[in-house]
Order: sequence, then C-alpha cells, then structure tokens
Amino acid sequence: MLNIALTKGRTEQDVLPLLKQAGVDTVPIENKGRKLIFTDRDRYRTILAKGPDVLTYLNRGSVDIGIVGSDILTEQENDQPDMLDLQVSKCHFVLASTSAFNPDTPRRLIIASKYPHITQTYFDTIGTDVEIIKIEGSVELAPLIGMADAIVDIVETGTTLRENHLQVYNRLQDCSAHLVVNRLALKQKRAEVYQLITNLQKCIQAK
Amino acid sequence: MSKRNLPLGTRDELGPAMARKQQIIQTIQTTFSQQGFAPVKTPVLEYADVFTGMNGGNLGTYSLPAEEEQLVLRPDLTMPIARVMSTTGIVPPVKLSYSGDVFRRHKRHTGGYDQITQAGIEIIGYPGSKAEEECLLLAGQLCTQLQIKQFTIELGNAGFVDAVLAALPLAEPARAELKQALIAKNLSTYQDRIKPLVNSPYADFLQNWPWLFGPLDTVLAQVEKLPETPGVAAILADLQRVAAFLKRYVPNAEVTLDLCSSAPQPYYTGLSFHAYAAAGDYLFSGGRYDRLLASFQQTPLAAVGFAFDVDALVASVPVQDASPQQLVYFTEDQWLAAQQYVAKRPNATLCLATSLAAAQQQADQQQAQLIDLSSQEETNA
Repeated sequence: MLNIALTKGRTEQDVLPLLKQAGVDTVPIENKGRKLIFTDRDRYRTILAKGPDVLTYLNRGSVDIGIVGSDILTEQENDQPDMLDLQVSKCHFVLASTSAFNPDTPRRLIIASKYPHITQTYFDTIGTDVEIIKIEGSVELAPLIGMADAIVDIVETGTTLRENHLQVYNRLQDCSAHLVVNRLALKQKRAEVYQLITNLQKCIQAK
Repeated sequence: MSKRNLPLGTRDELGPAMARKQQIIQTIQTTFSQQGFAPVKTPVLEYADVFTGMNGGNLGTYSLPAEEEQLVLRPDLTMPIARVMSTTGIVPPVKLSYSGDVFRRHKRHTGGYDQITQAGIEIIGYPGSKAEEECLLLAGQLCTQLQIKQFTIELGNAGFVDAVLAALPLAEPARAELKQALIAKNLSTYQDRIKPLVNSPYADFLQNWPWLFGPLDTVLAQVEKLPETPGVAAILADLQRVAAFLKRYVPNAEVTLDLCSSAPQPYYTGLSFHAYAAAGDYLFSGGRYDRLLASFQQTPLAAVGFAFDVDALVASVPVQDASPQQLVYFTEDQWLAAQQYVAKRPNATLCLATSLAAAQQQADQQQAQLIDLSSQEETNA
C-alpha cells in the first residue's frame, strides 16, 4: 500500500487526471464530499492536505509520497527526493509593485511576501539587502497601503496583479506540481514507487 | 508556564517503553563488552570544529554561547572518537564501543525529536575486510537477538558513483550537475542531464541509474549494462563478498544494494551499510571510513564502525507480554529476604506501605499482585 499526500485545491484538480491515467482510481477523490482519506483497494491510500502539511506528513514517514508545488518545496527547503516534475499547476514568481516603485531607490527596500526564503534567495542572488515582511495572504495589499515597497509573489496569469494595478518588475523562478518521495519509503516500497513514477512519466511524455 | 513545559524537540522517556529501551541498551553493551570492545564516553559538549565537514542533512546543530570558541551539543558520536584517537596517543589497532545521546535540531513544530540515542562500535587500525565483517556480524546478531525477525541490510560503496562519473565523456560542470541530479533522485533534471550521452556506450546504463537499488541479483543484473569502467569490478567483487558473508552468517537478513547514492558522510572511503525493517527508521548504519581522522591529523588511519539508532530499535522490537507487577509487602525484620525475593523477579518491587491494608489498597490501584511476606514466619525467597 502506497500512502500519498496530495495538496488539495488547484494541485489536486490538475494532478487527478494524471493519477487517473497512471492507474489510480480517482473516482472517490472526485466525489469526496467532506472526506479526507481515500483508499484504492490495497494499492493506494490518498490523503488530501494543505501544501506545507504534505511535507510534514512526508518527513514524519506518515505518507510515502507527497504531491506538492515546487514553491513549497523550495520555501520549506525540502531534502526528501524530489523525483518528478509533474508539469501541471504551472506558475511563476514575480517581483511586483505599483507604477511608482523604483527598484534603484537608494535605501533598504521593504519587500512583503508569503515566501520569505525564496525572496531572500532572490535578493541574495542579485546582491541586494532588503527587509522582508512575511504576509500570510493577499500580499498585493502591502505596496498598495504603503507597508512595503514591493512584493514577491506567485502568479499564474497575473490577473490579480492587474486588477490591483500592480506591475511586474522581474520574473523569478518557475514552479509546478512535483512528486516527492520519503527517502526510506523509496527503499521499503521500491517496486510500488517505481511503478507509479514510471506510469506518471509515460503520461507526462504523452502530453 | 515554562517550568511545566518541555522545550520543542524534546520528550520525557518513561514507562514500559523506557524500560525496553534500557534493556536494549544493556543487551547491546553486554554484547560489545563480551566481544572485547572497550567502552568510551565522550562529553555531550564539544567544540563545533570537531564536526567540521560533517554532512548533517537538513538538521541543525544546538550551539551554545561560549567565551572564546563555539560549543555545540554533539550531533554525532563518531567524530568525537576520531578526536580521542588523534589526541590521546592510543595505539591502534583498537576496538571501542559507545552509547549515548546525540542532538540534531529538526525544523520547529514538525514532530521530530532532537535528542536521539545511539549505540555503536568503532574498529580502528584494521584495513582488512574482517573488520567490516565483525561490524556486520555483531549488528545482524544483535537485531536477531532483539527478536527483529525480518530486516534488510542495504550495502553500498562510497566509490561507485564517482568511478562511473569519472568514466563518462562529460566535462565540468556537466558532470557535477549530473551527479547532483542523480544523488537527489531528481528524475526530471536527471533525464535532461544525460541527454548529451544518448549515443555513448553508457546510455543504456544511465537510463535507469537512479533506480539502481534493491534486491542484490536485480541490481547486479542491471550493472551488467555498464561498460567496463576502471574501479567498478573491484567494488562489485567486494560488495558480493560482503553479501555472501551476510547470507552465510546473518541468514535472516535480506541483502540489497544501492549503487546510486552518495556516501553518508564525506569521510567514508569504501563499504557503507544501512539496515531497516518493513516500517520505521533505519535500525543501524555504518561502513568504512579511512578518512575519519583526516580533519584531526595528517596520517590516515583505517576505521570501520556502525551505530544503532536505539529509538528506532525500540520501535521495531516486538513488545513482550509483561506479567503483572508484583508488590512485595514485608516487615522491618524482613528487609534482606524481601530484597532477595525482588532481585529474582523482574516485575517485582518492594512495597513501602506501612500496613498490609495500605499495601493491598496500593496493589488494587496499580492492578498489581500483592505478595505478603509478613504473613510468612520464615521466608524462603
């Protein structure tokens, strides 16, 4: 039995068709109601969880496989084998702000983000020291109300940014849904993990 | 509230699980002692420099402020032994055993425990294969003795990955990038990195290299796709020797190979091994690390060792049905007889109640069996 933690929400919607093609019975998950645990005979047990929690379950060994956005893998400094880019739920990070923003302002900039680690890494790369404020949601607010000079946030189409009159100053890293495996489960359940990953690889290549 | 709370990452150990842990440590220490290993105890506090170059994964170290140099709670027990060897003038060969706690800081609020108990041995000054075999034999025998009926011993070699990489027609940094993707098991990146080698004689082998772990025969069959590569034949012959040894002397262990991982620590130079049961953490890990003393002295010294993760053992050892506790009630004149009675029974303890009625009440509360020595005129304990 392979235990899988799947990030609920958009990742779940994007990944379910792939899992279905790879041979997982996804019907119970598609008709989930309020359930959070789904069993496909004695082959798979899938749980639905929030992205950061997927890694917590994986690191504790409570699940063998996690399906989660690469943004979370990077932000949480995941060190479990990140085996497969599922190439769905694609989006990217941007540095964005109002039209009045000047990245070359001669002072220490204040950047708001839900992703302080990714933000820090980006500004370290370009050699700029900034102050980072962690915001849990609606990050777009921070430059609009004057709390931050700019934001680092994840975008898919950019609609939310445009609706809030924010513009993109730089495009940072891409992200997508990834399949991560608990290091020891990979050894203990090699055949099952191999089968699932090989099936998924075929589905991705066929797309 | 803080005096009633535990710091994150810590726990109290008590009750039957603690009793089992203590028993397991005792069994391990007794075996090491019977086999002629000299016990060594190093301090919990060390200078941070002792652990320089150690790969701690994503686990942090507990640092303590000190006046001059940085102190840490030891994250490992092998490096301190290397320090002992390098500074005390002990003449090798020497066989040492240890048990104690190491401290590795997990990410906060993730449920990991930062204080882990290890017990292990170091065989220093023996370059031959018998040193590796004694480690594996002792570790395997102890697992069997502790009633872990089924477990897997995975063998690897610190030189295999680099031997194959060195033979590939790749320049730097492409070679390093390929190694990184292989070790991280990042299949998507790995497939990109091997594209330039699609027409090389290594192409077939490379296709499945990240999956080159599992049952011995399966992995060896897969390695046959590898073109003749300097250093590889000797590594494979050595791994087969170790596998044959295990089959003969630790027959209840399933032997697997892993030829696509990096060595657990940079100081490993040859054989590496890990053991695990069907579930739970690694039971023991070890190998040959002739570079162990490299950060302390110029002269290299052969070293082999392994350590049990005692907490993982406790979780894997089957729980025995414990007989109910016996409370032994006695009079002031029966102290010695009562002590002798208790000493002969693992589940007995002296009841210090001042009256038989109070003793009976205590036994009822604890669902224990009351042994009343006071009613016996002469006790034959």
